[in-house]
Amino acid sequence: MVFTLGALLVFGAIVIGMAAYGYRVSAKTAEDYMLGGRTIGVVVMFFFVLFAISSAWTFYGFPGLLYTEGPGYVAFIWGSVLGFAVLYMLLGPRLWAISRINRYLSPVEVLAERYESKGLRLVLSVSILAFVVPYIGIQPLGVGAGFQALTGLPAIYGAIYTVVLLMAIVMLGGMRIVAWVNIFLGSVYVTALLGSLIAVVVTVFPGGLPEAAARVAEVSPESLSNPGPLGNYTPVLFAGTFVVGLLAFSWPHVVIGTMTARDKSLFKWFPLLIFVFGGLFFYIIPFVWGSLIAPAIIPPSELAAMAAEAGVSVQEEADRVVQTIIQRVLPEWFGVFVLMGVVAAAVSTAAVQLMTSSVIVARDIVQGIVKPDASDKEVASFARWSVAIIVILSLGFSIWNQGAMALYLTDVSVPGFAQWAPALVGGLFWKRATKQGAIAATSAGVIYLVLGLLITVDGSRVLLLDLHPVIPTILVNIIVFVVVSLLTPRSSEAVISQYFDEPDEYLKAEV
Amino acid sequence: MKEMMGHLPGKLFLSALGISVIAFIAVSFSGFLEEGNLFFGWMTPPLVIGIVFVIFWLICYMVYFFFFWPYR
Repeated sequence: MVFTLGALLVFGAIVIGMAAYGYRVSAKTAEDYMLGGRTIGVVVMFFFVLFAISSAWTFYGFPGLLYTEGPGYVAFIWGSVLGFAVLYMLLGPRLWAISRINRYLSPVEVLAERYESKGLRLVLSVSILAFVVPYIGIQPLGVGAGFQALTGLPAIYGAIYTVVLLMAIVMLGGMRIVAWVNIFLGSVYVTALLGSLIAVVVTVFPGGLPEAAARVAEVSPESLSNPGPLGNYTPVLFAGTFVVGLLAFSWPHVVIGTMTARDKSLFKWFPLLIFVFGGLFFYIIPFVWGSLIAPAIIPPSELAAMAAEAGVSVQEEADRVVQTIIQRVLPEWFGVFVLMGVVAAAVSTAAVQLMTSSVIVARDIVQGIVKPDASDKEVASFARWSVAIIVILSLGFSIWNQGAMALYLTDVSVPGFAQWAPALVGGLFWKRATKQGAIAATSAGVIYLVLGLLITVDGSRVLLLDLHPVIPTILVNIIVFVVVSLLTPRSSEAVISQYFDEPDEYLKAEV
Repeated sequence: MKEMMGHLPGKLFLSALGISVIAFIAVSFSGFLEEGNLFFGWMTPPLVIGIVFVIFWLICYMVYFFFFWPYR
């Protein structure tokens, strides 16, 4: 255990050292703190975004759901890959140009000014924070579970360790250091995830992946195709999961990344990395873990018995199946290395979400609504100190409402993130979109989603028609947005010119 | 996206993306994903279909963004 704790302390010291260095070299302005001075290049941006979206969920939750439900859940990844590429190919250049020309610091500010509405600014801020903040808290708790499994110490120590790293990075470093630290964290993460996979395959399956697949075909053949062991992944659910993944273009902590770009060439190169590194390499690693290696080593019947013995649900036991296999098959020191990978995954994601949340609190709620005369320095200070409050809130919520990790992401966070998508896309590309339409649509979508998740009859989400939460809510959101926009007065000519003509000229002229 | 709608290659690019989304959904209903075939001895149908589509999107993106994108 001394080795484990020592390794984690060294790892933490490196991360905090990077954050402290970032604080020393930063310009101390709000723009520098919140958007890294808009100087993020394509390689840093790629690590920044990839590891912002690849959390402890990718290590535990994603393989866990593949294990219990079969390979169909990978449709979420295929949709997400296209969704992220769409953000950078279609929306990113315009969003970047508008925010750069007008010195906007948050995506909510971009839309509030587009629709000329403080009310919308409040609605968007509150709704985005409501769905981002709980997800932040899941990350330290995920690390805590792995920490407990490895050291035998209470999980809360692992959670506190993660929170300290998170707060150091975000409060000291700001967006630039969050992006740079993600390169270090991402490298640890990929090495741990891929390294453990290769080590397990070499140790247990000398014949490689075909031998593992043959073993799965013997013990659980239904795990190798749709609809999966539980029969859930029907064509409708597979296609629906793909569509849910597509909505990744609207994840607020990813959208804000487009505003930090150094120049427009980033939007030309970035999708290449998303398709090649993300789609054809990175996400295949947890897929192989969850759909082949895990069921080949621990058959579903054995996992069910383990869950019953531990007094947890099968899904919760499946969420830690990767960690269980690593501890069972590989030497102890490997477990420490993998835990570092999980810490890296959790911190890299939560730091970006925390950074985005603090930008929204400081720029949109405090300066945009409560204290419009706040100085640049005050805004940066508000952003830093809001971090502590957000962390406490998110941890509290996650402890109060613990559940299966993968389902929280796809059933609650993703539908919540998507509710500002119509206002975002409409604001950038539809001149007829109005503030009344944006406010009514976002409010209707969020209220419908919350009621749909809370009101159940015999376990059935009747208001959501038993569909994935994002499908009915986003349809209602879009219909309300279009109808109310068409029934209300157009935006002013000045705003239309500012959002539709000036960015075109800027993008053509900017080198 | 506005710049893409302003010329033929952009319209073709957007059409290709849109059609590929419809094609992905159509494949979901084709029965291919329910077959227990393994490619190269380990690749399951949902993995294979995703890789095929990612390669298609990659080719479309490279052709358009490196040769036709107005802001390249």
